[in-house]
Amino acid sequence: MISGWAQSLAPLTRLAMFRLTLTFSALFGLTALVLFAFIYWQTAVVETRRVDHMLIRDAEYFASQPPDRLRDIIESRVTPELRRITYVGLFNGAHRAEFGNFPVFPETLPIDGLAHRLVLAGPDGQAPPEIIRAIGIGMADGATLMVGRNVDSLDNLARVVKRALGLGLIPALLLSLGAGIVISQRTNRQVQKLHETARRIMNGDLKERLPIRGSGDDFDRLADSVNLMLDEIARLMEDMKATGDNIAHDLRTPLTRVRTRLERARDSGQSQEDWHETVDRAIVGLDQALRLITALLRIGEIEGGQRRAAFEELDLAELARELVELYDPIAEEKGLLLTWRAPDTATDLPISGDRDLLCELLANLLDNAIKFTPAGGLIAVEAQRAEGVCLLAVRDSGPGIPPEQREAVFQRFYRADISRSVTGHGLGLSLSRAIVILHGFTLTIEDNHPGCVFLLRCPVTQ
Amino acid sequence: MTSLSESENPRPGPPAFAGDRMRVLLVEDDQETADEIIAAFSRPGYTVVHVGDGPTGLARAGGGDFDIIIMDRMLPGLDGLSVLSALRQAEIATPVIVMSALGDVDERVRGLKAGGDDYVAKPFAMVELAARVEALLRRPALARGTSVQVGDLKLDLIARKVSRAGREIELLPREFKLLDYFMRRPGQVLTRAMLLENVWNYRFFTETNLVDVHIGKLRKKIDAIDEPPMIHSVRGAGFMLIANEE
Repeated sequence: MISGWAQSLAPLTRLAMFRLTLTFSALFGLTALVLFAFIYWQTAVVETRRVDHMLIRDAEYFASQPPDRLRDIIESRVTPELRRITYVGLFNGAHRAEFGNFPVFPETLPIDGLAHRLVLAGPDGQAPPEIIRAIGIGMADGATLMVGRNVDSLDNLARVVKRALGLGLIPALLLSLGAGIVISQRTNRQVQKLHETARRIMNGDLKERLPIRGSGDDFDRLADSVNLMLDEIARLMEDMKATGDNIAHDLRTPLTRVRTRLERARDSGQSQEDWHETVDRAIVGLDQALRLITALLRIGEIEGGQRRAAFEELDLAELARELVELYDPIAEEKGLLLTWRAPDTATDLPISGDRDLLCELLANLLDNAIKFTPAGGLIAVEAQRAEGVCLLAVRDSGPGIPPEQREAVFQRFYRADISRSVTGHGLGLSLSRAIVILHGFTLTIEDNHPGCVFLLRCPVTQ
Repeated sequence: MTSLSESENPRPGPPAFAGDRMRVLLVEDDQETADEIIAAFSRPGYTVVHVGDGPTGLARAGGGDFDIIIMDRMLPGLDGLSVLSALRQAEIATPVIVMSALGDVDERVRGLKAGGDDYVAKPFAMVELAARVEALLRRPALARGTSVQVGDLKLDLIARKVSRAGREIELLPREFKLLDYFMRRPGQVLTRAMLLENVWNYRFFTETNLVDVHIGKLRKKIDAIDEPPMIHSVRGAGFMLIANEE
């Protein structure tokens, strides 16, 4: 219980759902950052190219003008169109400024007619430096013309991008975090419900089932699976209980009889002869109880499935034929006709198995058929091969088994009403089934009109 | 108990051996089981030596002066199968019956593989153990020449013919096999399980009276109306073929 409560109070970070949300938020944030950076970078490149292109065109235009008209043209172009060119300077051969708002010749600028990045110190050394794109171009008369353009717009772009990040990404992250908390807590509540129910079941209330909300989501499906599992466990427990009750009952009956007999023998002055009779009958009763226990242990042992070591190549037809021969006098004594039919060649039904166990299985089937078929009836054993399987059918003309009981007869201690009057520990078919499962065979019951047929299917070995 | 006539109704336990004393080594750690077995063998002709663990059992058996060893599968110190393997490796051929409390039928296979001569699963009826001990102590009668004879019953192994007091008896192959087994072990108790194992080579328990029916059929054929029966039922144990001495 303590661990259960600890789980319910676990910090958010220990909830799988919350951790998942965190991971997704981080991923989302990272993606957004990369995306914005990419957009900024692309835009900056395009903007720079546009500015450069414009600068080159203007510079070339200026350079092609006669020097005497140059000043006028610059005056008339630069002044009204400040947005195109912010800086212009005409320097003579000795780099002395002759005209324009560019007082000092920038020594770092190559005079090659191409646009370059230039950092201008602030006018008073206090203001932040200004970044411009600039071109230097040599004039026909040996002078140098410089044209520059402030690229503040790129700064603006960076600011816009940052603001967009701030306005978009941070709320989105906060939102996903919030959603994560809400969802993980809802999930946690859901899980908590499952925990509590599971604990109630563990504490012995096997009738309890996990709640299903009806939304058909994964929780519902999980709960549904668990509930099905619980149904199966409950059924098995029920079976075990019934089996336990049956064992107790089936053991008590012979033991009570023995006890009564011994008690009566003690109280009545019997002759030595009678004493022996009593003791012999007591031994028979005890043997019956012991056989029941042995049979149960054997079923358990065979179901444990540790016996594959003794497997060998066998011929199903041969085994069946020998057992039919063994049982023939028993059938005859009861007034039954036991017939045998098989393919002509004996080695036609090769199977792999434990000879002793398979003989026991076939003996059980024959025992049963003989037990339940009334005198004058017919028992037909047939072996044949079909599509990779060896088939063995044990048909009888007895009362048959109704379809709804055909599965139940294989359960331990199951006795059809009809078999109540017949002796036996009621474990023969359970034992048979255990043997069949160990071998990977199948054993089914079908209608024989009248009677029933036990059909054994074994895969053919290569 | 002793007042009961043994010939009419043999009680659990091996028959008395008139000649040599049979020395039995019992290796069993459970005192109660050991006491029961010792009691069953407390009759003229037997000497039982009981030891309670594997190493002592191996040491005693190693001397080789026992006629038979009855050994539990689970023993303190050294388990029964290891003792058995060690004995066989030392080329000591004393017959061994392995007893096992485990239900596992594989145990039987393992016991026989390790060199055991027979196997009984606990809990067993004392008659079962006694009959198996007897079967191991007495080597089956080897056919003198080509036939076996018990009283006036004669079995020809080559011609596969059976006759009683000169009267020819027609037997099915399975009946011949069953009679053959009996005739090589006259005067021995043969349990149903022994017959099922050794005549038919089956090792299952059946609720039906399988063996009894087969014996019934055989009896009808070998005993004519005026002849005394030869295959006797031994109550609580099995069957015995007894020669009718004139």
